[in-house]
Amino acid sequence: MIKVEVFSSPGCGKCTQAKMVLKAIAEEIGQDKITWRDVNILEEMDYAVELGVMSSPAIAIDGKLIFSSLPSAAKLRAALDKQLAHTP
Amino acid sequence: MKAPALHTIGKLALATDVTSDAIRYYEKEGLLTPITKTGAGYRLYNEDAVRRLRFIKQAQHCGFSLAEIRELLTLKNSDAACCKDVRSVAIDKKLQLAHKIKALQIMSQALTELITICNDEARPLDECPILAALETSMADKRKKGTSHD
Repeated sequence: MIKVEVFSSPGCGKCTQAKMVLKAIAEEIGQDKITWRDVNILEEMDYAVELGVMSSPAIAIDGKLIFSSLPSAAKLRAALDKQLAHTP
Repeated sequence: MKAPALHTIGKLALATDVTSDAIRYYEKEGLLTPITKTGAGYRLYNEDAVRRLRFIKQAQHCGFSLAEIRELLTLKNSDAACCKDVRSVAIDKKLQLAHKIKALQIMSQALTELITICNDEARPLDECPILAALETSMADKRKKGTSHD
């Protein structure tokens, strides 16, 4: 099971639409393989700092910052596939 | 009707508690422009400049760099932008500050450790454990650097 965390702030207009598209990709791969968590950056700023998030939105996969802005659907898909291949 | 009052750079500096040099620098950086110049070439500013300088000062107090203040001023004057765009800039700034605070805490902790190992203030300088620890850690770093080559 891999963990996808999306760091953004509530009310971020540009994030909402893009996040829905990306979440759909993750769900397509299978909810038994991927957990998706929306992280409110204002509530979990210490955690965001710990992962090295310098701006929002950003995406971490399995606790590692992978995208410092929202990626294209293809790039997220590739990153998830790569991570799934390494996950026992 | 009375014409709006114009300020020389000196008066503007006095009214906003910003130095004349800083005002000229902001002008060079494109953050502020005089509304007109006198025949002799002296800059004249209106009340908008006073408001803008106060805005710049306040934003600097919140940690914004001049480049970021320029971005905020652009958003302020953009019809397409709205409050959430400004909020997003503020959130990113807060995030950057949180990173800096963390880095400072790590530095402070390193100093606490150094201060703790120096338990005898009367020691001669060549036995100072703080200086020794700094030299050792620098040598260690150099060694690590060489091993990567």
